[in-house]
Amino acid sequence: MAAENRHNSGRVRKIVLFCVFSLLVVVTVPLIPYAIDAYAVAGKQASVEKVAALENPAINLWNDVRQRNERTQGLTQVQGVDSGVLINKAGEDWRRFRVEQLVPYGAWFMGGILGAIVLYYLLKGTQMMPGGPTGVRIPRTTLNQRTAHWFTAGVFWLLAVTGLILLYGRFVLIPILGSEGFAVTASACKEMHNLFGPLFILAVVAMFVLFIKGNMYNLGDLKWFAKGGGMFGGHVSAGRFNAGEKTWFWLVIMFGSALCVSGLLLVLAALVPGREVLSLAHMFHGISAVLLIAVSFGHIYLGTVGVEGTLDSMTTGSVDAAWAKAHHDQWYAEMMNDSAAVEAADQEQGSGLVEGGVAKPGQAPGV
Amino acid sequence: MARMKFYCDAERCIECNGCVTACKNENEVPWGVNRRRVVTIKDGEPGERSLSVACMHCSDAPCAAVCPVDCFYTTDDGIVLHDKDICIGCGYCFYACPFGAPQFPSDAAFASRGKMDKCTFCAGGPEVTHSSEEFTKYGSNRVAEGKLPLCAEMCSTKALLAGDADVLSDIYRKRMVNRGASVMNWGVQFKKAGIDG
Repeated sequence: MAAENRHNSGRVRKIVLFCVFSLLVVVTVPLIPYAIDAYAVAGKQASVEKVAALENPAINLWNDVRQRNERTQGLTQVQGVDSGVLINKAGEDWRRFRVEQLVPYGAWFMGGILGAIVLYYLLKGTQMMPGGPTGVRIPRTTLNQRTAHWFTAGVFWLLAVTGLILLYGRFVLIPILGSEGFAVTASACKEMHNLFGPLFILAVVAMFVLFIKGNMYNLGDLKWFAKGGGMFGGHVSAGRFNAGEKTWFWLVIMFGSALCVSGLLLVLAALVPGREVLSLAHMFHGISAVLLIAVSFGHIYLGTVGVEGTLDSMTTGSVDAAWAKAHHDQWYAEMMNDSAAVEAADQEQGSGLVEGGVAKPGQAPGV
Repeated sequence: MARMKFYCDAERCIECNGCVTACKNENEVPWGVNRRRVVTIKDGEPGERSLSVACMHCSDAPCAAVCPVDCFYTTDDGIVLHDKDICIGCGYCFYACPFGAPQFPSDAAFASRGKMDKCTFCAGGPEVTHSSEEFTKYGSNRVAEGKLPLCAEMCSTKALLAGDADVLSDIYRKRMVNRGASVMNWGVQFKKAGIDG
């Protein structure tokens, strides 16, 4: 029985396997054409994707127009500056710089420096010569140096005032003068600024040639900077020019040159290709001008009401010995040791230096 | 309230320069001043398209923002105009304008450019409407006559449209709907040409 049972179970297994296999064949064989079809459809889909990857050749038109990927220059029948450019991106940058940065920050910077100077003057007042003027004069500048200085100052302020009117007149002067009144003013300012501007090149060159001697930095200047130039009391040892004066000299030379180069580009705009260069020149011109004007407030303060006796060096050309001793002790010592200068001063006045002789500028050798 | 706009349809412009000629003739602008110009991108290459461009009468006009004498004003129709009696010819508007619209009659040394001239949307200027001063300084005032700028009116393919922004966008929307079908058709053509063919 057991053997027969075993035999029967083997047959059942065979029948079941046969049935499953038949079923698989019956189900699968009719699906084969579908599978082939499906494979073909998949291939077709891939080709559809390839079609989509083919771009309309004008798809980048607006990227080109907006200059998103590269600087695109179109072709046009109209001849003119940048006439092939449909959209100039640099213009918006320049607008933002001028309207949102140069005008407000420039006003704050210049106004802030001016306010700080006024505050300092109200707190400290004029710094007098220790012990009062001695009457002894020491030659400090030559006639050429003074001429160059006042020439530069004159041109600088003519350009600064006309430039500031063009920059801030819209906000300050239109309410006062009215649109048409300001238009005349602004037009005059523009013409003056453009016509007298090139004189500033001459001024910067003259300043450089005549004042470079004595304006090179040395190690002692570090001490001057560390003590804040004696701003908070006490005198700092200095040579003919102290570190502050040297810095002012180099600011004038550096930013003055930047003003000259950018100004020339703007004045000769017809020779400059494109607007990007001009708007960049404008940025340099504006920043340099605002900086120099702000620092010049400090220079003018120290040269006039800030420190007693300083103005003499740019008017008469000589300074009081007490002033020299207080502010430029090393230079004072040099000058006093310079026997030639002392002798010249003595002969000129027929009296000793200590007794109140005046060494006239330009006649003292070695200055 | 209307909001006047120009629109140039790049799929329609055929670079005939008719708008440029119409503008020059209507407004009698001097030599060297081109209030409108046609620029062709990718000239002679696949994807070549042309666009006619002039002052776009921006809502937030960069020229007006940078003008040192504040000579620009926007009319009730949204047209940006300027006063040539106030303009000092500094050229700042030319630096700021993205479209190169401001034009100057001369371009000599010392930045003497003369008074700025630009597209007025054929709406004249601040002088008395239809006075000879207005015509000499600013050209024709068609808007006061209830007409649209001549450049757009003369456009042979109606690529350049001028008028109220709502009307223009309706026209352009209809064009886009129709063009959508043709672009799909283009895709079929591509498939045939590129893959099956």
